[in-house]
Amino acid sequence: MLDTLHQIVAALPALMTVPVVLSMLLGTAVGIAVGALPGLSATMGIAVLIPLTFTMEPLAALGMMAGIYNGAMYGGSIPAILLRIPGTPAGVATVFDGYPMAQKGQGRLALRISLASSAIGSAVSAVALLLLAPPLAMVALKFSPANYFWLAIFGLMTIAVLLSGNPVKGLLAACLGLVIGCIGVDPITGVERFAFNQLDLLSGIDIVVLLTGLYAIPPAIDLAINPPKLGTEARQLDGRPEGFRWSQLVPVWVKASVIGVVTGIIPALGGNVAALFAWNEQRRGDPDKAKYGQGAPEGVAAPECANNADTAATLIPALTLGIPGSAVAAVMLGAMLVHGLIPGPQLFRDNADVTYGFMLSMLITAGMMYVLGTVGAKAFIYVLRMPARLLSPMIMLMSVIGVYAIHNSLFEVWLMLGFGLLGFLMEKLDIPTAPTVLAVILGPMAEDALRRTLLISGGDAGALFSGAISWILIALLAVSTCLPLLKRLRSRRTGARAGA
Amino acid sequence: MNRLTTAAVAALMTLAGGAAWADYPERPITMIVAYSAGGGTDIAARTLAPFIEKHLGDGASIVVLNRPGASGEIGFAELAKANPDGYTIGFINTPNVVTIPIQRDARYTLEGIQAVANVVTDPGAFSVLPQSEFKTLDELVEYAKANPGKVTYGTTGLGSDDHLAARAFEKEAGIKLTHVPFSGNADVRAAALGGHIMLCNMNISETVADAEEGALIPLGQMAESRWDEAADVPTFREQGYDVISGSQRGIGAPVGLPDDVLGKLQAAVKAAVEDPEFQARAAEQKLALDYKDAAAFTADLEAMHATYSQLWDEEPWAQN
Repeated sequence: MLDTLHQIVAALPALMTVPVVLSMLLGTAVGIAVGALPGLSATMGIAVLIPLTFTMEPLAALGMMAGIYNGAMYGGSIPAILLRIPGTPAGVATVFDGYPMAQKGQGRLALRISLASSAIGSAVSAVALLLLAPPLAMVALKFSPANYFWLAIFGLMTIAVLLSGNPVKGLLAACLGLVIGCIGVDPITGVERFAFNQLDLLSGIDIVVLLTGLYAIPPAIDLAINPPKLGTEARQLDGRPEGFRWSQLVPVWVKASVIGVVTGIIPALGGNVAALFAWNEQRRGDPDKAKYGQGAPEGVAAPECANNADTAATLIPALTLGIPGSAVAAVMLGAMLVHGLIPGPQLFRDNADVTYGFMLSMLITAGMMYVLGTVGAKAFIYVLRMPARLLSPMIMLMSVIGVYAIHNSLFEVWLMLGFGLLGFLMEKLDIPTAPTVLAVILGPMAEDALRRTLLISGGDAGALFSGAISWILIALLAVSTCLPLLKRLRSRRTGARAGA
Repeated sequence: MNRLTTAAVAALMTLAGGAAWADYPERPITMIVAYSAGGGTDIAARTLAPFIEKHLGDGASIVVLNRPGASGEIGFAELAKANPDGYTIGFINTPNVVTIPIQRDARYTLEGIQAVANVVTDPGAFSVLPQSEFKTLDELVEYAKANPGKVTYGTTGLGSDDHLAARAFEKEAGIKLTHVPFSGNADVRAAALGGHIMLCNMNISETVADAEEGALIPLGQMAESRWDEAADVPTFREQGYDVISGSQRGIGAPVGLPDDVLGKLQAAVKAAVEDPEFQARAAEQKLALDYKDAAAFTADLEAMHATYSQLWDEEPWAQN
């Protein structure tokens, strides 16, 4: 531990040079912008940047990427709150309470909550990365395919919460997501599923394409059809919910940070899952469930804190084991390779300066994000005052450009627009879209993990029920399924007694 | 008058045409990478591109264009149907470029692609955890014979070079292993290090770092001769198993390239690969450099095509 602290202090001077500080600042600003624009994500921002960093010194390059990563996770919440368009996949859960807050004229406060929560999440995550990287890394390796299966099932359970008032419509949306998740080449047998001999469908559907379609296009169509006549409430911007105190968010941050860090360490779960888990857990733990989805400050704080707490934590298995937990981490590993930094235990030994410097830059850019966000929020908020006839085509344009840039594929642009129409119809029919997104992410994960488990065990389903981690997850599943049922039973019984 | 104009235009065109090839390249060259930005092939391509520019001379410029999807088919197809004027080249990766047209009705054929030069050959390898019950290929074969189908091995997917190499090894040694496909190299590594699979099939360049740490023990590499960076790992042949496999990354172009353009490109790639500055960068990325000219690379592709076609006819590695 002392040794680690020593390394951290030793890495500081190299970070405090003009080029490194400037590149971190630039990275953070770019990150916020990339996150805020629908269709553009941190992964893409960093991937596009890699060639530009070839000539930079390693620490400046890595610091810039740290800034982009942190900034994008916060940036995603800006359009989520103001326009109900999550800028990145991780911003989906922020829409649930962020947009209602903005509608009630509390947009500025929602942005500030999101910013503070994001900065805190990032900071906690960076500290976890700095101090606990090697021991925590081992947790990631312990996860077997069977554990992943239960984890995915646990994630799918949260859909139950997203079903809103109408379970049939919610399940319909979830099933749609499961079907979309099946598209592409079956990884275990090589069979083409729902690809209709279309080359472009063989790799499956990119989550950003789906998300941009489902979330960015319908609001744009809405804006174009009937420009909102903003009530004085939403124009006021400075509203506050009654009795709101910042201190009430502290327990939310604690819980969400832990969820974010843990989700980050486990490979294959990303910030999007962390944010949904945190929002769900926050709502589950609160006696007053009714306020969630109606503009609860806690409902903004939890997902925003969690998706930022996921950032540095994702780098724990990436740096120590060379196992990237998400697409962003994978791209960052690629960039490190360019600078001759090979992930693994030797990284901490042979390149301690750069490695600790990089981890510190995750912490420093969290602070920079707070400063830039505070300054920027004054400007962002005026998006709400922009005329709809300007905003709607702008959203469409940015979505098209963003989606085209993922794979330089026009097919995906059409696909995104198709999903946009679908999302618009779903909204009009009151079918929630969040279960679809969650099912697309977790469905394939559950399927692959289940089939891998059975391949390894030679078809013995008992393999699913072996090992402590599996049992912990099964217990969690059982508790979260049965508790609401028991509660309802008990309340019905006491209710019946009171009635008699 | 009319005839004069025609003659003048014809003369101009000949002049222009001749000059175009002599001064090649006159405009930016597009280099298609059939995989995502930030991935292994992309980074190798972007590292190599400036050195090819340098050795083509005359302010040549190369623009890397990512066209990922369908295991590379989208990018390969675009390369094959491009104008064969030397202004569209691309990275081609084996075995994908060879196996895709074998296993499905692809949008390109191998004949449609002109091999220009090979850059990297990364031999396949088997590795195990230090506590494994077998630590040599012979012990693996013995164990697998005693426990048919019990040995699980992880690869980056169906039809990957790792998978095809394991198929070849099974046939060679007369054993049966159980294949567990994963979606990427990192997943295979995690599963192997966590002890969830028994045998880890990754290319040797992806194995050496773990081997140095003592986290994985390489059982052998599938090269004709040992790779410099893994000089203490015996080849499969040395251990009595005739398995040569690996993944090659080289430069390709649409078929029909003018000879002098092909010659220029080939020479520039050769000079780039031999450039000490590039070699230093490649060493950092653990690229197993292996320059081969167009003729040798073409021969490699044709040999692979024959082998894999036969393998597919005997026992397809994927359902379709």
